[in-house]
Amino acid sequence: MLQAPDVALLPLLPILLVLAGALLSTLLGFWVSRRTLTVINIVTVILSGAGMIFLWNQGLSSFAGGLQADNAAILLGLTILVGTLMTLLVSLDTAWRARVSFPEFDAMLMYAVTGCLLIVFSGDLIVMLIGLEIMSLSGYVLATLQDSRRAEESGLKYFLLGAAGSAILIYGIAFVYGATGSLNYAAIAAKVGSVSNLTPENTGILVGGSLLLLAGFAFKIALVPFHQWTPDVYSGAPTTVSLFLSTVVKVAAFAGMLRVFGGALADAPGWAGVLQILTAATLIIGNTAALLQLNFKRMMAYSAVAHTGFLAMCLLGTQALGGAALGYYLLVYTLMTAAALAVVAALQRTETGFEINDMRGLYYRHPGYAIALSVCLASLAGLPPFAGFFGKYLAFQAAFQNGYVWLSVLAAVTSVAALVYYLRPAMLMFMPDRTPAKEYTRGERFPTTLTIGLGVAGVTVLGILPNVWYGWVANPAIWQLLAGR
Amino acid sequence: MFDPQWLPTIMIFLPLLGSLLLFLAPNRWRDELAGFVAVLTLGLGLMIWYTGGSGLLGLNWIPALGITYSVELSGVSLALALVTAFMSFIAVLYAARRIPNPGTMLALILAMETGLLGIFAARDLILFYVFFEDALLPSLLMLAIYGKAHRMRALVKFAAYTLFGSLLMLVSIIGVRYLGGSPTFALVDLKQNLVTGPAQTWLYLGFLTAMAVKLPLWPLHAWLPDFHEQNHDSGVPDVMGTLYKVGGYGLFTFAIPLFPDASLELRPILMGLAAFTALYSAWVAFGQKDWKRLLAYAGLSHMGFVALGVFSLNETAVIGAMYLLAFQNLYTGALFLSVGMVQERIGSLDTRVGGLMTGAGALGGMTMALWFASIAVPGMAGFIGEFSVLLGAYQVSPWVAFAAGLTTIAAAAYALTAFQTTFWQARPLGGIAVRDLVHTEWLILGLPLVIAIFFGVYSAPALNLMQPAVKSVLAALGGS
Repeated sequence: MLQAPDVALLPLLPILLVLAGALLSTLLGFWVSRRTLTVINIVTVILSGAGMIFLWNQGLSSFAGGLQADNAAILLGLTILVGTLMTLLVSLDTAWRARVSFPEFDAMLMYAVTGCLLIVFSGDLIVMLIGLEIMSLSGYVLATLQDSRRAEESGLKYFLLGAAGSAILIYGIAFVYGATGSLNYAAIAAKVGSVSNLTPENTGILVGGSLLLLAGFAFKIALVPFHQWTPDVYSGAPTTVSLFLSTVVKVAAFAGMLRVFGGALADAPGWAGVLQILTAATLIIGNTAALLQLNFKRMMAYSAVAHTGFLAMCLLGTQALGGAALGYYLLVYTLMTAAALAVVAALQRTETGFEINDMRGLYYRHPGYAIALSVCLASLAGLPPFAGFFGKYLAFQAAFQNGYVWLSVLAAVTSVAALVYYLRPAMLMFMPDRTPAKEYTRGERFPTTLTIGLGVAGVTVLGILPNVWYGWVANPAIWQLLAGR
Repeated sequence: MFDPQWLPTIMIFLPLLGSLLLFLAPNRWRDELAGFVAVLTLGLGLMIWYTGGSGLLGLNWIPALGITYSVELSGVSLALALVTAFMSFIAVLYAARRIPNPGTMLALILAMETGLLGIFAARDLILFYVFFEDALLPSLLMLAIYGKAHRMRALVKFAAYTLFGSLLMLVSIIGVRYLGGSPTFALVDLKQNLVTGPAQTWLYLGFLTAMAVKLPLWPLHAWLPDFHEQNHDSGVPDVMGTLYKVGGYGLFTFAIPLFPDASLELRPILMGLAAFTALYSAWVAFGQKDWKRLLAYAGLSHMGFVALGVFSLNETAVIGAMYLLAFQNLYTGALFLSVGMVQERIGSLDTRVGGLMTGAGALGGMTMALWFASIAVPGMAGFIGEFSVLLGAYQVSPWVAFAAGLTTIAAAAYALTAFQTTFWQARPLGGIAVRDLVHTEWLILGLPLVIAIFFGVYSAPALNLMQPAVKSVLAALGGS
């Protein structure tokens, strides 16, 4: 008997709103200026956020569970929208300087966000894959959009390695489908939940599939040894794009991982052991390599790798603790990274960012931005009273309480290196300097200031009163049904 | 009159509020505003003392994680908070006088005071950690803004040592609650749910690392001399840095109650390390040619005594250690400032200047009196502390106490030699005329000295304050 497909548009609302923004940017670009488009997009992003808040606690799903608007999706989706909002605001000021100020920039950005939201709302592997591909393809274009050799190199590198990553991911999906006979998270979880149901050959395929999936995701979130593209792409792309890639895209990739590994494959054997090794390697290599950087933007790229390590510790936690930790940390990470890169975008002379030594005395030339940047760096380093500390604390706790004590000790030790490389630029800014300024002097503009203010206020408030956000993500029930019902 | 439970909270955050207000206040009122806030904070502390301790205030901070906002100022913590508030006031006085356009420095002093008072008041491990790190940022900024040529190295060293210790402590903190099964991180709850067995020793080691860095204890002390040497000549950041040596207090308040078996188990090793720190740094101090480095090592030597007292777990020794920890802040801090005054007059921190006494008799006299306090001459507060530590430690381990006792001789040697070569001897030909103490400088050196003498002669008020707290902490050890 033919069954009517289960199509409910309400749970799709936030995604459709963002998609509408993308389509509008594509079409209206012929008639209105890019700034107008950006403002329109900011409005659609805010509306999409309102839509998500409307869907809170309703637990809706669509396409027979292929798409689910549960609370986890909403919390991570809001994080993505915060990052998008900050990117759009910064792009108002800096896109023209980076020579990417045309409507296609906005269109691509919004398509990427649509993909990100699809990943977050995904209920089966195919929807997740489609979202991931939309996100990645738009990301490749964004990285290449600037007319320069560096951007081309960055985009091509991103594309080639990203394509390899996607291929591995798809292969993994095929394996998992082969082992469990389903693409739906809940169905996979039900099969995996009792591994004894699987015949021994199937277990092998399942382990292989989950490891391939892990490798595919590791490309996207930049886990060592799949991180090689990160520094080149982040430092080669225009800073606004780096901001987007290192916050929104990373949050989405982590959300996908949380769905797949925290939900569908939570009980599958094999991947946790590999993930802990990769996490350890990421912590060591990311933090050590960041120590050696001379360019601030490149250092931030390595810091993004290092933070992948801290974030991945959350994935190793139990569902309740790890999910809550990740939910909190991702928002904080977005706020502090976006605000820090916004300062770079505003004050850099060229899109290569600035050298760390050139930051000397920044406090005496741009006091507001320098203080904001040092707050972000302190937060990234995990110093209280800023929110980065609680993020780190939650990540340590998640790993520790699930038995990965050695990993939390290792993370503590590598955090010392992290402190050193964040501290040097932060402190240099406060050292008096008599040489001429090496940064762009007219970079302080209102939308950027708003972004930075948002980031700094968020990091401070969430650090002093973590409950403002943690109270929402702390409910374990949210994270125990990641796979859906 | 409202509930005294809230007084510590007001006392902690008042300086921070003041430091934020400083940025808004017009330039010419900044000194007065900072001084006013510092005095008010000290007044609040005295009020808590007068009411006999504040009692415990416990609020849920992050209920989902079991993190509470528990603060209390009484006993040892109140004594240390009072000294902190007092020395912050002295630091504000001198900074206002010495540093041109001192707004930033004053704001940093007050911001750091908040962190320090928080450390002493916190009765929740996570809260303790938060304040512990909060005090770090202002002290780093002082070094970055006002430091000398090689400050970046000193700064990175200082921060890396501190964070290395404290992050291991953070892992320990997570472990203490999780393995013990306590509902919250509040000290009262944790005491009910102790971790036992070998896990306790490991967790203690994590905690100890942080405290050993902040004591500091050999071999984790290397940041200290560079930190003091590279800081501003006036010695104001050094006063705050001295107050920040809270390792002894942390061990006393958190480590002994939470890791009683491990403290007993590791006692011989730790006492040995402490005695070695005291003796070794006194020896190194003897060879120093820079006043700041010399004072850094002298302070380190005192901290060896504090550590010896705390690690010995003997009541007399622990009281002595806390007494010494509180009062060495007065005279070590004041000595840093007196060195700052010498530097202001002759532009050098060298210990071989010579002949200052001819021009600046009062400065020389005050400095000498402070040195006497520092090397534990009877009649000064330092004597009571060091003597009690040795007396108590002797009952536990006579030979270690003997070795540490040698330090007092070495202390006299390094202190008096450096004093003699700076203030006596012949004034070099062509040396500039040296001005004596003027205006507030009398107060800045005089007040700490008067208090050090007062509590050296009449120690009862301070002892009465500390003794019950020490007794109750040591009672957890099961009558040793």
